Amino acid sequence: MRLASLTVRNFRNLASLDLELPPDGVVIIGDNGHGKTNLLEAVYYLVLFRSLRGAMDRELVRFGEAGFFIAGDASPRVTVGYEIHGRRKKVTANGKEIKRLSDAVGLVVAVVLSPADRSIVDGGPAGRRRYLDVLLSLSDATHLAALTDWKAAMKQRNAALKRGNASEAQAFDRPVAVAAAKVAARRHRWAVEWQSRFTELCTSMGERTAPGMVYSSRHWTPDGAAEGIQENLRLRIERDLRRGTTTVGPHRDDLLLTLGERDIRRFGSAGQQRTAAIALRLLEAQALSTSHDTAPIALFDDVFAELDQDRQERLLLLIKESLPGQAIITAPRDAEVPAALFERPRWRMVGGAIAR
Amino acid sequence: MSAIDELCSELAKLPGIGRKTATRLTYFLLKQPPDEVVRLAAAIRSVSERIRPCSVCGNLGETDPCLICEDPRRDKELLCVVEEASDIGAIERTGEYRGLYHVLGGHLSPLDGIGPEDLRIEGLRARVANGCEVREVILATNPSMEGEVTATYVRGVLENAGVQVTRIALGLPVGGDLEYADGVTIAQALAARREMPR
Ligand SMILES: [Zn+2]
Repeated sequence: MRLASLTVRNFRNLASLDLELPPDGVVIIGDNGHGKTNLLEAVYYLVLFRSLRGAMDRELVRFGEAGFFIAGDASPRVTVGYEIHGRRKKVTANGKEIKRLSDAVGLVVAVVLSPADRSIVDGGPAGRRRYLDVLLSLSDATHLAALTDWKAAMKQRNAALKRGNASEAQAFDRPVAVAAAKVAARRHRWAVEWQSRFTELCTSMGERTAPGMVYSSRHWTPDGAAEGIQENLRLRIERDLRRGTTTVGPHRDDLLLTLGERDIRRFGSAGQQRTAAIALRLLEAQALSTSHDTAPIALFDDVFAELDQDRQERLLLLIKESLPGQAIITAPRDAEVPAALFERPRWRMVGGAIAR
Repeated sequence: MSAIDELCSELAKLPGIGRKTATRLTYFLLKQPPDEVVRLAAAIRSVSERIRPCSVCGNLGETDPCLICEDPRRDKELLCVVEEASDIGAIERTGEYRGLYHVLGGHLSPLDGIGPEDLRIEGLRARVANGCEVREVILATNPSMEGEVTATYVRGVLENAGVQVTRIALGLPVGGDLEYADGVTIAQALAARREMPR
């Protein structure tokens, strides 16, 4: 997939940009705080229609402005506008308005590699579940539907628990369990399908201890379907009532990453965690290439500086394979971009504007 | 507040009408002949004065009990449970149903603070329990998540009432095209398949 042009208005510190992007991509050099990452975030906003860094939409609007607008032509041409007043978000694809946001998610596909990715590996399970859900939502519309159903049923059940009404809460056990089982099953299936590739990628990055990846669920078994979760919901109703929230379901699951059977999160070195994080992103790229039949746009946010020479070279080889399409690469200085990526045009970013 | 503002803000309280539409409607009414507007006002007034819920089934009408509850030709062994009184109109228009109704007044939604005690579920239990003629209760709540949950809840309440409890079938729309139906609907229709009569 290629982004031919990008228009940005009033998004973070980017007042007004109209860019034609080269087919291979571009290298953007600029000091921190001048808007390089904001530009990548603007591109990625066309993928999920929410902030890459978990910010609220109104926080993305440039100071003093009423809203922001982003348009990108990646065949389809996708636009999104947001107004603070009325919190309105309007998405169009090829000129036609798309009423349900979920129908627009995944029209544009991109993968971001950033030093912040390490938090997927060394942070809590929520970040790993989010990693799985984003990539599954992009590659399979039914996963997003199951997630939406599950969250709606959970909200109702939790509201009943907070009211202290057991029978009312239990009335929602079935819809919660049915959707939860679908969510967990899809995450589990993905981990099974891609675990050996995860091992291969970590090894190619220079990892010597055998890496592993497995989906771990306390209240769910691959053969259990909805009944297993429903039974657990029934058994734990007293505890749920005491806590005022549902304690059973895929919101308690984790994607366990290991090195020789030991948890990378607790026992891995900083370098090993970085390697695992990059492997997860490359896995995402491959999974999306498979589902979309085109390589995602690659967004590299200053990732090379923190890698030693050896890992840089290994990563470059893997990128050629997993992300062969268009790449937008940012770095604070020329010297921090590997020479192999420098065949691309070089732009400079100063104060939210591009100087060529 | 001016009379114009007052009408605007009253109209804006109606479902599906925003501030803009309310203003447009107000200025439209201002341009109409006075007797037209008076007729509309009178119609609104008489609805609010004459229409009341039936104390038996919850249907809306000018009499209590309502005309359906009072109709001796209706089948008193069949009771159809719906969320809103407006659902009765939809079923009645088909002309295919000859039983009685029971309006719940909504569906279970803890998020909106609506629990079983806020719906006419106790009234339903009482209607079915007291040595009445009802043999079958048809649950016709909406096929939404909350509608399903409400149907399941009502079935639980009627567990030992000695009546047959059924759920209206969910599936493909008549005259529709299988190819264009959504996945959830197709799955429902497959699960609810039945043997074909010869
Ligand atoms: Zn009645």
